[in-house]
Amino acid sequence: MAETVTSTADLKLVVVTPEATVLDVTADFVALPLYDGEKGVARGHAPMIGRMGFGELRYRVNDETAKYYVDGGFVQVQDNEISVLTNRALDIDQLDAAAAKEQLDEALTRTTSNPEEMAIRERLLLQARAQIRLAEKA
Amino acid sequence: MANPRELDKRRKSIRNIRKITRTMELIATARFRKAMDRANAATAYTNQIMKLVRDLTNAGVAVEHPLLEQRSDTANATLLVLAANRGFCGGFNGNVTRAGLSHLKTLREEAGEVRVEVSGKRGISGFKQGRVAADETFTQFEDKPAYDEVEVIANRYLEDYAAGRLDRLDVVYTRFESVSKQHATVETLLPLGGLDVNEQEQDEQRSSTVYEFLPSPESILEEVVPTSFRVKLFKCFLDTAVSEQIARMVAMKGATENAGDLIKQLSMQYNRARQGQITSELMDLIGGVEAIS
Repeated sequence: MAETVTSTADLKLVVVTPEATVLDVTADFVALPLYDGEKGVARGHAPMIGRMGFGELRYRVNDETAKYYVDGGFVQVQDNEISVLTNRALDIDQLDAAAAKEQLDEALTRTTSNPEEMAIRERLLLQARAQIRLAEKA
Repeated sequence: MANPRELDKRRKSIRNIRKITRTMELIATARFRKAMDRANAATAYTNQIMKLVRDLTNAGVAVEHPLLEQRSDTANATLLVLAANRGFCGGFNGNVTRAGLSHLKTLREEAGEVRVEVSGKRGISGFKQGRVAADETFTQFEDKPAYDEVEVIANRYLEDYAAGRLDRLDVVYTRFESVSKQHATVETLLPLGGLDVNEQEQDEQRSSTVYEFLPSPESILEEVVPTSFRVKLFKCFLDTAVSEQIARMVAMKGATENAGDLIKQLSMQYNRARQGQITSELMDLIGGVEAIS
């Protein structure tokens, strides 16, 4: 566990989607969008499994910051290795704000009759809003 | 005796065919490599998911989810058949279509309403021949199925399942086992049978790591189950794409070899016919000379 990990060890970040391994890099610091807010992970972090939300994943290496949009999923931190499992990981520049707005409008007009449908609607709303927010920032 | 010119013409056209089949074989090989790489990438993802589930169960979470539970009666079922858009791949499309049609029969006995969805032009025409009207057809999946496109379909199934419009989903596809072995299989994806955790492996890998769960193991599991369904469905599409290219590779290799054999045979016939022609011309000449002298 943490005793065996020295603080000088490299922090590894691996982002996988079902289609490809998007990122496999070493980083100095990683910020992850969890379901209820952002979480920063540096070297020697305690083992953790978290549920991610829709939002921005940042990692810093040599004072340069790279930003990605991640589409929910999970993160597992263990022995200075962060593995992120997500449906989609896009470079911020590749986001399509127009499509996200469309999705938002569609989700807002949806009628729901049971908790499952409500959860789906909620998910679509959060996803669209996160994309719009990030696309505007970029 | 056959006309040598006729034989030569045939030989030429077979040479052209051989050129085409060889090219198709090469293309299929290249596409197969690419499809294989994608399938491997998906495997990396599923391995990670499995590791996650293992760590969750190690933390003492009971694996329970509506998607995992068998429903007492199946009123609405959906059969999804994955075939290819193109032919020239041996028995690939035929096998899937046949498996699909025969499974449809059994499914109709078990469930009240059966919806049929077919992907791939060849599968669609195969079902038309079997006199089964498909409720929905997809033709957008080529050798590189995109996760985004599959996800749309997966989410629709999940929505239908949650709303009670769907009780069972069976997928007929060509399972990729190894480069030399693929076969048409039927798999029930909804309800999910389980999360594929290898029990033995689980015991061996029972790590001492104590994880912090954000927000809670239950909440994470709730999200893992639909994700693993989506990935499973995506894997079916990927397997289909890989198997199609392999089938085409094998079929085209056979065709090229056959063309080569045929050319050899025709060459022999052609040479013999030519020789025969020359001989008979010589005989004519000799006969003429003899008549004069």
